Amino acid sequence: MARFLWRLIDGVETALLLIASLGLFALMTLTFIDVSMRSVLNASVQPATELTRILMALVVFASLPSLMGRGEAIIVDLLDPLARRLRLARFQQGLVDLFCGIVLFWPARRLWVLVERARDHGEVTEFLQIPQYLVLGAIACAVVITGTVTIARGVLTLFFPHLAKE
Amino acid sequence: MVSALVGLACVLVMVFLRVPIAFAMGFVGVLGVAHQRGGLLETSSYVPAITLAARQIADTTQDYGLSVIPLFILMGLFISKGGLSRELYNLGNVFLGHLRGGLALATVVACGGFSAICGSSLATVATMSRVAIPEMRRFGYDDRLSSASVASAGTLGALIPPSVVLVIYGILTETSIGKLFIAGIVPGVIGILFYMGAVRWVVLVNPEAGPPGERHGWSERGRALLSVWAVLLLFFIIIGGLYGAFDFPPLNLTFSPTEVAGIGAAGAFLIAFGRGRLSLRDLFEVLRDSARTSAGLFMILIGAALFSAFVNLAGLPEALVGLVTGYDLPPLVVIAIMAVIYLLLGCVFESLSLLLLTVPIFFPVVVALGFDPVWFGIFVVVVTEIGMLTPPIGMNVFVLQASMGDISAATVFRGVTPFWVADLIRLTLIILVPGVVLILL
Repeated sequence: MARFLWRLIDGVETALLLIASLGLFALMTLTFIDVSMRSVLNASVQPATELTRILMALVVFASLPSLMGRGEAIIVDLLDPLARRLRLARFQQGLVDLFCGIVLFWPARRLWVLVERARDHGEVTEFLQIPQYLVLGAIACAVVITGTVTIARGVLTLFFPHLAKE
Repeated sequence: MVSALVGLACVLVMVFLRVPIAFAMGFVGVLGVAHQRGGLLETSSYVPAITLAARQIADTTQDYGLSVIPLFILMGLFISKGGLSRELYNLGNVFLGHLRGGLALATVVACGGFSAICGSSLATVATMSRVAIPEMRRFGYDDRLSSASVASAGTLGALIPPSVVLVIYGILTETSIGKLFIAGIVPGVIGILFYMGAVRWVVLVNPEAGPPGERHGWSERGRALLSVWAVLLLFFIIIGGLYGAFDFPPLNLTFSPTEVAGIGAAGAFLIAFGRGRLSLRDLFEVLRDSARTSAGLFMILIGAALFSAFVNLAGLPEALVGLVTGYDLPPLVVIAIMAVIYLLLGCVFESLSLLLLTVPIFFPVVVALGFDPVWFGIFVVVVTEIGMLTPPIGMNVFVLQASMGDISAATVFRGVTPFWVADLIRLTLIILVPGVVLILL
């Protein structure tokens, strides 16, 4: 069961990172094509700005769960040797993860309010008429997933350290 | 002002307790805004604060201008994968390798060249260390000199354009990124010259540290120069595009930083692909790493924006401006005090976090004193990059150690001292002669 769960987590992480990678490649290609067309043919890709904005959100939020799940956020580890010597490192790491995960649910709830507002107001992007609530909804979901992953990491670190290492 | 100082202290405590910097700044920022909006015990005051956080998350990640960040990171990683570092190193080697300490000089020049197409000092160190250090070892160079030359010259990655740190400073302070890039060129070249001076000093004191290598003929030098055409072309397009070098009929091209980043990333991709250095797996790895690094940076940007909102609401910048003008301190003394604060905090924080934490507080003071925002951007990058070499955090040193595996951090820190002194001289020059920064503008 545990093995199946890890494979599932691995699969979801790879899928999200694949989405982020494709998004970034599309962002690069779009910017290049837009600039080239504007410079050479004097004809820009009109929805380029709104697509860039959506692709950026995709890149950032599809990679965020992996970033937090692997504990790769930028930290200051100056006191790590002291924490290790006092045998507090695992306890400290677990609590920090729990804190970060819980904190993420604050804006996630508020983001959901913004999603509902955008849907009620019928906000859409200028050229492609993409509903804004879909983008905001995806951001809110990604924040919730990241929060859940970070809390899970904290719980594993505190109570099941052998699983956390995997 | 007191609440902002308490908030700053809370951020420092949380950061030392290993809370990610983005979360520490964001959390304190939200609490601070709530405090300013009605008090921490008032439930209703949290609504605007958390709404601000939610808006900041949604807006920052969809800000068109910020697309330069993932694109420049992507460009740097493509360049690293493309193997251009070896050609750059070879170019330095054929011209300088025969001198005493020549391979270390070549390393400094190659790092400077690599910085011109890569926007990060950490990426420069990670890439150049694998190319330069084995070669210097082959010629019997002292590990202290070889590792310190890479770790120090790697800091140029954040200064010589394109630079991700300068982009972030530009966005944070609404300063022209194009001007910041142009302003980084002369201090970057001065950095190369001063680091070369540091290498010469080391081999003057201890000639055994850097024995001379082989002398190369002019035909070989010509071939080496031709082999770096891709680097030169990319740098020319980036800087030329920003500087308006192609703004003549029939081209009439001037690029914004976002456009340059897109062209640079696509160009770097084509170079790496054209050189056969990019398998499908490599491509995925580069894209994945760029996306993850960008996500980390965006988190810090969001955290910094929230902390900045709190600091501004609490009136800390105005209070500092009042303090400085009240005591009638000469502007240079204020800058010297800031430099000391940066050098001390640089021992603890990596450069980007330090920049994001301090610029919202210091920038209004500096502007009120009449300093040029572009000059301050270069000053901040130079002074924070010194921290990348300073124990105990010295990120460049640890990246080099991780990249090489068999060089201790203590060895690098010992070797870095002359380069650190060179950095301090350069910083003093930038403070006393602002013209070296602004000359090309």
